[in-house]
Parts: sequence; C-alpha cells; structure tokens
Amino acid sequence: MTGQAFFVLTALADGPRHGYGIVGEVTELSQGRVKLKIGSLYGVLDRLSAEGLIEPDREEAHDGRLRRYYRLTREGRRALAEEAELRAATARVVRARLGLPGAEAAG
Amino acid sequence: MSRGDLDLEERYRRALRLLPGYYRDAWEEDMVAAFLDSWLTGDPDEDSVTMEFDRPSRPELASVIGLAARLYLGGAGTPRRYFAWGQAVRGAVLAVMLAHALWGLSEFELLARSRHLIGWLPPPPAVGGIWPTVWYLVGYAWLMAFLALVLGHYRIARLMAVLAILADLAAVLQAQLAGILASPFASWTYWLLIDLVPVLAMAAFHRDAPPAARRAWLLALPASYLLVSVPVLAAEATGHSAWVPDTAGLCCLVLAVVCLAHAPRAWSSRAGTGVWSLTLVLLAALAGAWRLTSLALYLQDPHLIYYLQGPHLVDVGLAELLILAVAAALVVPDAVRAPAVMPSPSAYPQLG
Repeated sequence: MTGQAFFVLTALADGPRHGYGIVGEVTELSQGRVKLKIGSLYGVLDRLSAEGLIEPDREEAHDGRLRRYYRLTREGRRALAEEAELRAATARVVRARLGLPGAEAAG
Repeated sequence: MSRGDLDLEERYRRALRLLPGYYRDAWEEDMVAAFLDSWLTGDPDEDSVTMEFDRPSRPELASVIGLAARLYLGGAGTPRRYFAWGQAVRGAVLAVMLAHALWGLSEFELLARSRHLIGWLPPPPAVGGIWPTVWYLVGYAWLMAFLALVLGHYRIARLMAVLAILADLAAVLQAQLAGILASPFASWTYWLLIDLVPVLAMAAFHRDAPPAARRAWLLALPASYLLVSVPVLAAEATGHSAWVPDTAGLCCLVLAVVCLAHAPRAWSSRAGTGVWSLTLVLLAALAGAWRLTSLALYLQDPHLIYYLQGPHLVDVGLAELLILAVAAALVVPDAVRAPAVMPSPSAYPQLG
C-alpha cells in the first residue's frame, strides 16, 4: 500500500468525507508532510474504489455543486488495520535497532 | 451562477479534458467540486473575484497531466485499449533503453581497448578533452537506467536517463556554439527522438504498471551484445568496417529482423501477440524517423559520406528504410487489432 493510499484510508477511518475534505484531513494527519493534489487524490480514490476498499457514501448539494462523500468498506477497514499493524511492527523493529525508547515491545 | 463562476469552473473542465472520456464520466463532476472547494471561502464577494480571475495552479495542472499519463498508458484496472497502449509504450521504452545500454557497454569496451586490456583489438583513436570521460559516464548512466527500469526502480531509472540526455544536450549545444555541428537538424532531431521522447515516455512506468519480465530483459542485454555488438566489433577489427551500417541503419536492420521473426506469430491470430506488434510498430516509426533525418547529415556534408562508406551511403540508408517499412508492414494489421483484442490486465501481468 502506498503512503498516499494509507493516508486516504486513514482519513476515512472515522467517517465519510468528500474529496477536498480528504485532502485537508490527510494534510492534518501527516502534520503537513503529505499535501495531496486533486489529480493525485482521484488517482488514489479510483484505485481504492476498484480494489473495493472504499465506496461512495452519499451526495450532498453545496453551492450548487454535488459533493460526493466516500467511506471505508469492511474490506478497506481490514486492509487499513493490517497496514497499520505492519507499519507499527516495522517501526518497533527500527526503534529497537536504534536503541530508542519504546523498543522493548519489539521481537 | 454568475458569469465569473463559469469561468474558473470551465478552466478546470478544460484541463480535465486531458483525461480519457471513461474516466471523466466517472470522476469529472467530483473533481471539479473538489478543485473549487480548494478555492472558495464562502464569502460571496471574494468568491466572485476568485471565480472570475483565478486559474488552475501549475502543480494542479501537473497532477492532472500525471494522472492523464497514468490513464492513457494504462496499468492494472484501466480499459484494455489503454492497457494495450501502456504495455506497447513500456515495451518500446525498454527496447530503446536496451539500445542505449548496449551503447554504454561499447563505451566500456572502448575504455578497455584504450588501456590495452583487450590485447587482440587495436586501441581506438585517441581523443583529447573532457568528452571521452563524459561519454564513458553517459554510457554508465544509460546502463544503470536500463537495469533500474527492468528491476522496477523507476525513479533511479528516470534520474539516470535524464542525466544522460542532459549530457547529450550539452554536447550538441557546445558543438553548435563552436560552429562544428555538420547538420543541426539531424543532431537536434536525434536528441528529440532518441533521447527526449523515450525519457518522456518513461511516464508509462507508474505504480499501476505491471513489472517488466526481469529475466527476459536482463538476458536481452548480453544476448544483444553477442548478436549485434560483437559481430560489428569483429567486422571493424578485421578491416571490414565498410560493411557495417551506421547506428541508425543498424537499428533499422535489427528491427526489421525482429519484425520478420515476429510476423508468423502475428499472422497466426494467437491471442496476446498484438502488444508486441504494436511495440514493434512504435519502434519502427522511431527508427525510421531517425534513419530519415540522419540522412540529412550525409546530404549536408559530402566529405562525411566519403569518410564513412563512400558515395552510396544515402542509397544504402534509403534501402534500410525500405526494408524496415516492408518488415514493419507485416505486423501492422496485428498491431491495429491489439487495443481491441488485448487480454484483460489480470491475464497479462508481465511484459516480455
């Protein structure tokens, strides 16, 4: 799973969001390190949608335009949890190798 | 909706026309809404000015262009037509990078000869200045670009290839400024066709693209060296260099042989041959254009004709072009069918 896909799924973990809402949430989650462009976002949304990890939730009218909201599917929630566990386990190993605090959980 | 509102929205819709129709049908409205959300504040006066005068930013346009490249040169999940084009372009880029890598290997060979490491071959003529070192490094960069591309390290491949074409660009510019460029048209066309276009086409190697068939492409490098470079070297070492075509001619003839070898499969209507036919047609168009434009060099510099192979060089070049055209024509019908009869992406995981 790419970093962008991971952040997009995480942005949808606590509820449905529309396209620009996802961009803002990803910026906040990553503390400004990941700033998704709209073109990149929809490349990710298209791929996650094709993989069955997200799905449309609803459409709402806003200033005369329809905003489409997306939500995680059950499969998407499971994939995100697995990826989070994998990344956490990797981080624990790295911290152990570096002798950093919190490394005791590794291995 | 004011007139200004239409302006910014239309600018975004115009930019989104770069995307394939099937993708716009699915995502355009949503994308436009997201783009406009990124501008609008909810203040009617401020929004009115924004809608009338602001334009899509360059990073936004770049992200749309990047998305368009990924979709038209499709990978997993794209319609078979775009997947076929993506596979064909990826195959053509790999083949051009292979040719550049062969040139890189020949630079190693020249270096070894100049240091008398290959005793039975005469050393190449000594050339002064910085350029022999530059060409050695460029050859090394092309070799790295090919290997990185095959092994899936696309960023490294792009970086190496860009460094190589920048060195070529510097050489052409320096020669032009020094007034020693025999044919600016031929030199610049070479740089555009053989350097820049394949590097731009490396955009086809994106995260959704299936990986290249590593073993086949890695084996292609030594096999091509043995089948193409070694015979050329042997001919030159035994004083038969007049029989060796120039590089453009050699590419045309090698490509013609590959087209002829592939033609029986292409005519057998076997599923899955079309992408290779399309790849060969793309390569034939590139090599043919190079052959044609490089003849301008010979026409503009008669001394070069006598120096290289005698007065019939242009005739030989046209004959090479004709042979390539006839051989490529044999696979064109299969190439034309390819986008329609391409197996689904999941059934076609590797190129090779």
